[in-house]
Amino acid sequence: MQPIITITNLFKSYGEKQVLNNINLTAYPGQIIGYIGPNGAGKSTTVKILTGIIQDYTGEVVVAGMNLRDHLLEIKSKIGYVPELAEIYDLLTPREYLRFIGTLYHMSPELIEERTTRMLDSFQLLENIDQRMDSFSKGMRQKVLLASGLLHNPSIVILDEPLSGLDANAVILVKQLLQRLKQEGKTIFYCSHMMDVVEKVSDLIVLIDKGAIVANGTIEQLRGDSGQSLEQIFSKLTSGEDLGLRADNIAAAMNNNNQ
Amino acid sequence: MNKILRFLVMLPKGLWRALGADVDQLNAILTVKLKMDDRKPLSFGRQQRSQKPSKYTSTISFIFTLAIGLVYMLPFIIFDNVVLASTMFLTMMMVFLTFGLIIDFSNVLVDTRDKLIIFPKPVNDRTIFLSRLLHIGIYFFRIVLPMSLASWIAVGFTHGWKAVLWFPVPLLLMSFFCLFFVMGCYLLLLRLSSPQRFKETISYFQVAFSILIFGSYFLPRAIQSSAVMGMTINTVPWFKYFPSYWIATCWSWVDGKAELMPHTQWLSFLALVLPFLLLWFTVRFLAPQFIARLSGIDSIDVPKANTKKVKTAGGGKFYIRLANLLNRSDEARAGFMITWLQSNRSRTFRMRVYPMFAFVPIYFVYLLTMNKETSFAETWEHLPQTKTYLLLLYMTGTVIMNAINYITMSEQYKAAWPYYSSPVTVPGNILAGSFKAIWLKYFFPFIAVIGVFVMYVWGLHTIIDVLLAMANVTLYVVCVMRVGHRSLPFSMPEQIKNSGGKVIVRMFFVFILMGILGFGHWIASMFWWLEILFLVLTLIFTWLVWDGYNNTDWKGIKAAEDAY
Repeated sequence: MQPIITITNLFKSYGEKQVLNNINLTAYPGQIIGYIGPNGAGKSTTVKILTGIIQDYTGEVVVAGMNLRDHLLEIKSKIGYVPELAEIYDLLTPREYLRFIGTLYHMSPELIEERTTRMLDSFQLLENIDQRMDSFSKGMRQKVLLASGLLHNPSIVILDEPLSGLDANAVILVKQLLQRLKQEGKTIFYCSHMMDVVEKVSDLIVLIDKGAIVANGTIEQLRGDSGQSLEQIFSKLTSGEDLGLRADNIAAAMNNNNQ
Repeated sequence: MNKILRFLVMLPKGLWRALGADVDQLNAILTVKLKMDDRKPLSFGRQQRSQKPSKYTSTISFIFTLAIGLVYMLPFIIFDNVVLASTMFLTMMMVFLTFGLIIDFSNVLVDTRDKLIIFPKPVNDRTIFLSRLLHIGIYFFRIVLPMSLASWIAVGFTHGWKAVLWFPVPLLLMSFFCLFFVMGCYLLLLRLSSPQRFKETISYFQVAFSILIFGSYFLPRAIQSSAVMGMTINTVPWFKYFPSYWIATCWSWVDGKAELMPHTQWLSFLALVLPFLLLWFTVRFLAPQFIARLSGIDSIDVPKANTKKVKTAGGGKFYIRLANLLNRSDEARAGFMITWLQSNRSRTFRMRVYPMFAFVPIYFVYLLTMNKETSFAETWEHLPQTKTYLLLLYMTGTVIMNAINYITMSEQYKAAWPYYSSPVTVPGNILAGSFKAIWLKYFFPFIAVIGVFVMYVWGLHTIIDVLLAMANVTLYVVCVMRVGHRSLPFSMPEQIKNSGGKVIVRMFFVFILMGILGFGHWIASMFWWLEILFLVLTLIFTWLVWDGYNNTDWKGIKAAEDAY
């Protein structure tokens, strides 16, 4: 099978700060890749390169057999992206926003309308379809963002903390949706700090720290004979210190004041 | 209005396509951006939108823009030669509009909010750049139209119906020229500076550029004003270096009586080609990589941590000592500190307020030399015999008024939630702390420098005038804030549709009211004891009004937000 994403010798720096340091990665259609790492490890930078937001990097990124530098717009058309920070034009209504996004992908108004209605109905947002999003909760905005990432039926879906702000039922819905998308042969690039979810949904887990990949494999491969959870593996690989001791120190700091 | 303008800017679809833009996407982006501009963002604590958006400000802005247009109409009445009149008119318009473009609309060009929404979509650089250019262009035309209306009518009376039909052509050329020139400069700057430092660079560029434009407009005009009346096209040969003259020469195509400088007919073709050349150059050569450079703007550029600088107690810093010294409540201290720290870091604030420090002396020099037959040297020599220092002292009020206004605005206005979530009972204390920080950080040093200049030129005895002016300006600003300006620091969004006209309206009222106070001061300055009395009365009034402001409750804050 041909890989859908191949990243080779990827480097990226901001001034003197090396953010990505020789990332090599291969993903196949129908795979869910859990991309995890501590804050500032370089996850968002990788995602921004993959989505074409950052273009000044060194190394090679090939998506669906096309080099990202040479076929930026074609590759962007194949990707659906749900950003982490709930960035959305919240002065618009979901209908207006999704119509806007669909137009950017050159979808017909009828198709946009049909998919918008069906998706928002499934996310239980149909009654809010014509309400401005600045009064929406974080979870409601996240649902609109998810819909906007899937609206054009992308073959690669990049999700950055997609469960952020969602209630328990919506989390179950999204997890099941991921499996459905996987069955349809879509590749899902899943960035998250929620280790239990990543452990359950991912076919391949890539752990990144200080800009470099420190572990890459299935959960079974990462676990080896240790029987540890992904959270424990993550902590062992990315934190050299005793986190329990740090927690004690934080608690102790609160008790040491005048109030 | 926006819909019509959008329709008009989307008419030359072929041109946009030829420049490399995707017309459907361009239209979609413009539609959404304009729709968002028309909607009022919700600020914290204001959960319900007022159903009727206030038309009051936009109407006043429109009237004032028309009024400014009346001044710009004068060349068409004074000069018979339509080329000369048009050169003067277009020069004034170009300066005003370039200035507006730099101050009000450049934020739209370098807006990074689209980064996660539009940039990952299959939209090319040229489409994104053009969408921003046309977005700015639409607001630009909204100012150009009312401002040129009076001149348009005047041209009809002085040069006939053919001139009325032709009038929009040079106007359009001028608008395109300004638009593409300023945007080209920004793109060039974006290309030359490192993306991480771009926002810093651009804000200082804006300050410097707007001072330059302002200075180049007023100072030569002031010095040359006596010669204006007898001017003919041949007495000002240096006009031919101005793009406004090139555009004005286009009148020769329709008006046989239009007199040009010898051998300058070809400039009219240059005027016709130049805007398109600038557009083509910016879109073709500067817009590619636009996204790449913009993407880098908010990138992390974390300097290496310097552990030595970390202090366990914060009491050592100057602003903290000041905050503790000048404020009694913790809320006021918090307001003082956030304003002190954020003000010079906020791009919006810097861009709007810093140029004022230069405008005051420039405008003062302009007023001094306006309509005088005497030379600048003679004016300067006789300066100590006049009382013009009062004018200079009261003009410092524009700095604090602008600072007070923009201290409430921020791109990250939603980050103001801690005011609402923390147990603040009297938000007026935060406002008071914030005002003290502004007063001390921006107004006091400025009036002190101006005061030293005044005492140097007019003598030490003017110290009482400096103090009285300082007190009067403070009283005036406190009154204005007490009446309407009661938003928490950095808690309000800045909307593009409110740009431009509002600034003009505000400046006008500031000048008028400040003028009344200044007039009172002028009367009082005849007797020293009257000045002392005036000073004491001002201080008492300030204290009384201040008390009300300091005790502003949540209702007052909400009312201010609703009125926004």
